[in-house]
Amino acid sequence: MKNRIALLFALCTLTSFAQKNLDPTPEEVSKAKVLREKYNKDDIAVLSSVDEVRFDFNNREEKVTVQIDTKEQLMNINHRAVIQKYEFYDSESSINDFSFKFRNDKKALFYVNDELYKDSDLFYNDARVKYSTLDFPVQGYTYFYELTKNYRDVKYCTTFYFQDEFPVVYKKIIFTVPNWLDVELKEFNFNGFAIQKSVVKQDDETIYTYRLENAPALFKEEDSPGRTYLYPHIMVIAKGYQKNNKKTTLFQSHEDLYRWYASLVGLMKNDPAALKAKVTELTQKATTDEAKIKAIYYWVQDNIRYIAFEDGIAGFKPDEAQNVFEKRYGDCKGMANLIKEMLVLAGFDARLTWIGTKHIAYDYNTPSLAVDNHMICTVFYKGKRLFLDGTEKYNALGEYAERIQNKEVMIEDGAKCIIDKVPLGSAAANKELFTAHLTLDGDRMKGAANRSYLGESRVYFQNVYNHFESNKKKELLDNYLARQNKNIKVDGVKTSNLEAREEKLTIDYTLDIANKVSSFDNEIYIDLDFLNEYKGFQLTDRKTDYEFDYKTHYESHIHLTLPAGYKVTKMPENIIENTPNYEVSLTYTLEGNVLVYKKKFSFKNAVLKTSDFEPWRALQKRIVEAYNTQVILTQ
Amino acid sequence: MKLKCIGWLLLCCTALSWGQTADEVRQMMWGPGDKHQKATTFPEKWNNESAVILYKNEVYDYHKFGTNVTYTRSIRKRIKLLDAAAVKEFSEFSYSTKFYSNKAMGSFWRRGSNFIGVRIIKPDGKTLDIDADKEAKEVNNEKKLAIPNLEIGDIIDFYFYSVEPFKSVYDYTFEAVETPLGDVYPTVDLKITLRTENDFFVNFNTYNGAPDLKEIPTGKSNDRLYELTASDLAKNEFPRWFYPLNELPCYKFQVIFARSGKFERLSDGFLSEKESIIKKTVAKEDIFNYYNEKFYPEGDMGPINKFLKDKTFASDEEKIRAVYYFCRHEFFTRYFEGFAVNDANIMYPWGLYSNVIFFRNEVPFVNYFMQFLKRQEISFDIIIATPRYNGSIDDLLIQENVRKLIRVNTKTPVYLEYFNPYTGADQISYTIENSKAYVLEIVKGKRVTDASTVTLPSSTYKDNLSKIKTQVSLVDFNGYKVTRDAAYYGHLKESEQEDKLRFYDFVYEDYEKYGTPKLMELVRNNRQRTQYTKELESLILKMKEKQKENFEANVEGEYDVKVDDYAFSLKNTGRFGKDNPLEVNETFTINANYVKKAGDKYLLELGRFLTSQIEIDKKEIERKNNIYMGFPRSFENEIIFTIPEGYSVSGLDKLNKKVENETGGFTSTAEVQGNQLVIKTLKYYKNYYEPNSNWNKMIQFLDAAYQFTQEKVLLKKN
Repeated sequence: MKNRIALLFALCTLTSFAQKNLDPTPEEVSKAKVLREKYNKDDIAVLSSVDEVRFDFNNREEKVTVQIDTKEQLMNINHRAVIQKYEFYDSESSINDFSFKFRNDKKALFYVNDELYKDSDLFYNDARVKYSTLDFPVQGYTYFYELTKNYRDVKYCTTFYFQDEFPVVYKKIIFTVPNWLDVELKEFNFNGFAIQKSVVKQDDETIYTYRLENAPALFKEEDSPGRTYLYPHIMVIAKGYQKNNKKTTLFQSHEDLYRWYASLVGLMKNDPAALKAKVTELTQKATTDEAKIKAIYYWVQDNIRYIAFEDGIAGFKPDEAQNVFEKRYGDCKGMANLIKEMLVLAGFDARLTWIGTKHIAYDYNTPSLAVDNHMICTVFYKGKRLFLDGTEKYNALGEYAERIQNKEVMIEDGAKCIIDKVPLGSAAANKELFTAHLTLDGDRMKGAANRSYLGESRVYFQNVYNHFESNKKKELLDNYLARQNKNIKVDGVKTSNLEAREEKLTIDYTLDIANKVSSFDNEIYIDLDFLNEYKGFQLTDRKTDYEFDYKTHYESHIHLTLPAGYKVTKMPENIIENTPNYEVSLTYTLEGNVLVYKKKFSFKNAVLKTSDFEPWRALQKRIVEAYNTQVILTQ
Repeated sequence: MKLKCIGWLLLCCTALSWGQTADEVRQMMWGPGDKHQKATTFPEKWNNESAVILYKNEVYDYHKFGTNVTYTRSIRKRIKLLDAAAVKEFSEFSYSTKFYSNKAMGSFWRRGSNFIGVRIIKPDGKTLDIDADKEAKEVNNEKKLAIPNLEIGDIIDFYFYSVEPFKSVYDYTFEAVETPLGDVYPTVDLKITLRTENDFFVNFNTYNGAPDLKEIPTGKSNDRLYELTASDLAKNEFPRWFYPLNELPCYKFQVIFARSGKFERLSDGFLSEKESIIKKTVAKEDIFNYYNEKFYPEGDMGPINKFLKDKTFASDEEKIRAVYYFCRHEFFTRYFEGFAVNDANIMYPWGLYSNVIFFRNEVPFVNYFMQFLKRQEISFDIIIATPRYNGSIDDLLIQENVRKLIRVNTKTPVYLEYFNPYTGADQISYTIENSKAYVLEIVKGKRVTDASTVTLPSSTYKDNLSKIKTQVSLVDFNGYKVTRDAAYYGHLKESEQEDKLRFYDFVYEDYEKYGTPKLMELVRNNRQRTQYTKELESLILKMKEKQKENFEANVEGEYDVKVDDYAFSLKNTGRFGKDNPLEVNETFTINANYVKKAGDKYLLELGRFLTSQIEIDKKEIERKNNIYMGFPRSFENEIIFTIPEGYSVSGLDKLNKKVENETGGFTSTAEVQGNQLVIKTLKYYKNYYEPNSNWNKMIQFLDAAYQFTQEKVLLKKN
């Protein structure tokens, strides 16, 4: 019966306790404490991080290669920390050193995992990750980290950032550029950061050195702009090289980028014959060209599932149209290519189109693979260019998702390309309106209500609703309309066609609301705002712009018929505020015996900038005060 | 992008290392003998479902050759997809590529082979076979398969087939299967097939109206074939407070491989007389036969004798409880500090302990206490019980479902159960309370002489009590300062202890109580001790940071608002008996919530300080199932609101509620005492179980409690 636990744990790894006897010095502990005071949300600080970037030439493959040597010193600034240190690579890159040392320069043999990286948005991708789990047993404990990463082709080595997921006390990036290589080191978001730059020209090379001290950790906030907007970074643009008396152009301009993309498109072997019957079926009943375009575009949206593969060159080359058609799934490129081929079969001028979504700050003035991440199709129709995004669902022709609005596109045009922009939409086009006509019935409010949705609010609703299982839809819609609030009973729901793209989506129902009306003495107190929209939207401690899914425009019109013999003696004060990025109003007016409470929240540009936060918080406080203020009816 | 993961068949590879080929498996599944290859229709009542399973077949096959055992499992489902959600659900599959049996030992024999087959049947009858080998992508030893050409209205027909060979020289108990007949979608036809041969003992039974298992003649003396078929099965739904195996048509089975009579006796299950007989029930005699030699008094009484030295007790009960708590430390929590430093890679602690004895499960625990009670000449028995969620012990079939504990036959019997850090010697696990159990009667402290049945003790709602005093005062007429003192008793404290306590909260308490040196005191080398102590202190400080975050998040969940200025202190761990409460004090503020301005008056939502209550929605009101709960329980709350000077409160009538019936109740009173409004509430559930006919009665008091949270009082100037 004796169970010797020693045996149970005999499998402890040999390295588990190997890093001991390396206690931090009192100075290191003090330093950690000082840093922790400064970075009180972080466990680790990078005391020093140096990237050395060198370029070389692979004669056999005729490719410019890149080697990055990184050396870092990591310090635990909290009581204790366990972190994962990781680095990604893929079929175009390799990691040749990924190692750690203790503070006494002896090797720390942490197990290095090497796995394919699983991305929830991608069914399959060739990105791999090497990572180790590091434990820092006490405050002030340090490790040295060394990395060597190689790119087989300079075009895949795009950007260098100064910041990390941990605060960086000292960062240095050194580019050693040989004279035979024409490289632009394009600087982004340097404003506001004390980045020191030096350039030293030597006989055969030029050394560019960038330094930044005391950079905070990358932000860990949701709904933020992409990192290309937020952080200072350097983009490597290899424009060309001269070797063996031969000058070779790489990415001098977007035309070069286009040529490379087009060369991959040229490798496709589309077989339009496989699509012909479906195109005929879809278009034969269409009486106008526009109806034909819609028939094809909507069929692809409804019938092709988005399943993304990023596997080597397949990350840039679209799958053949017949494959996507037959499999009924594809990624953005495959879907764009299918739409294009179907439209061409139907007699339209349709073309593949590259685009960087809103997540990416760059435009095609920067010739780099980092500029775009998406593909759509452009159809030239009656002198206009219509952009068709096959990955969207419930998207009406001529309406554009926030993520591609106002973004530059690169449209194929034979040997050249066309640069254009997706039109910008307005918040009003996405209007969601709630109306209710209520009367008091004892301590309840009852009446008819309606919700309507336009544009992206419609698409958002449809994507959520139509994702549910059929047998759960009714219950879930009722709960959604009641906002999961037991006090709100919803009944008699009638809807417009919830799959329609080109009409306003409407829902009519009745409301029966409890616990929002209280009577004391001769007075009735009414919580007329029973939905409290944006009550929790405080943006406390937020450091980055808040980005909405789309330009949100929400209105609520509540009409309350007063009971006979009562008059309004108190109601919340009106709030009206209009700024470039948002418009908010809460107004109460008496129209005869009807109290009309109108509310509007319009986020005109789908963003609240950090500069908006202070006025927004002040406004939000007033909104909550209004929500917490009762309408008083007196006999 | 949700992947359809294959639960029990995680392991798949295409290597044809074992007997069958992929083609043979395919023929087995979809060959000419497939009677369901034309199945396309389903009852009209399921038209609005997301999908309908037209046919589901699970096959479990157990064969052996010498010491080589082959366990083959397969599942096939043919499913009509009726909406986009179903298409999405089945649009991707993932399954592992490496497969090594974890059964028994061996090397070559541990490699298994799995096969997958997927086909789509279009509404026009056209069948599209998916070439999984070609289509699947490999990601970190797992295969991912995107199903092409899948649309609403299609039928997806797929199987997973696993062959798992392993060596077993002695006996092997396969994992039990206990599940309702239904699936996540309604099922038209279901077949469960079991194939065995000699040396495989089968326990199988069906419950709650599920059809019986039938033997199908094979014409071979060694081979046995059994089938359970069912049709027209509704989909599974699991509402609140529900034990599916108590109510839904279900089946349970377990197969045990035992090579000879000797190994039959050693095996870990209740065996039938011979392999050809399916065991359907476990009778008192089976219990006796199985357990009469399983337990025997054993163990070194030295630690207990040392503990008892110079101690006197008012009664045997008191002594036994004291010994239980001592043993809980000596053979259990004494090592928790070691687990912590080991897990945190601080040091290897196990060499520091002397005379290491750690009770890993019930058996050494029971044997040790048998020894103690025998030496003390105190009468006791062994109790064999099963948690109520398994169904009655009369329906016991699987040995693993049994809990073993000791009943000490003192004047007031004391039940002793295997430890966790919080178990008490005066309350048994709620899962077996109030259930019928077997008693293995022990004579002379060592021999099981007979088995009888008994109903285990119950607890009442008064035993299992959460008692919370919340003192509330207004801050700027816009929020509240809150001080909350909570005391948890009986079963209600167990989950709180699990959630709130960390090892340092109770290990050092035990060290002090029992005079145990701290782990760090055992480290002889001064330099190492200093280093490890520093690292352990760092670990505890970090854990305390997380503990506070966890506490704060819990409070925000309970009150459904963000809180500020949060602080807590643990007043008592409550680890020594059901009447010894877990006590926690918390203070925090709530801003801009629960106060409504009404002119120069205020509506105070004081009911909210009862914290979030169960909200019974429209669907739940129509519940059809009986109600199965963990244990009777009560929640006593006192909310004391300090009335600001110069103000008075009115509208207290709505805070006075009384709904009581045979299932439980909710009562509340509110009165002004000096400058305080004192609100007292009691919510209680009387029983473990309520028939569905009582559901409306439960709703009455649940709704009353919810309604209380919505009530407001008016605060106005005098």
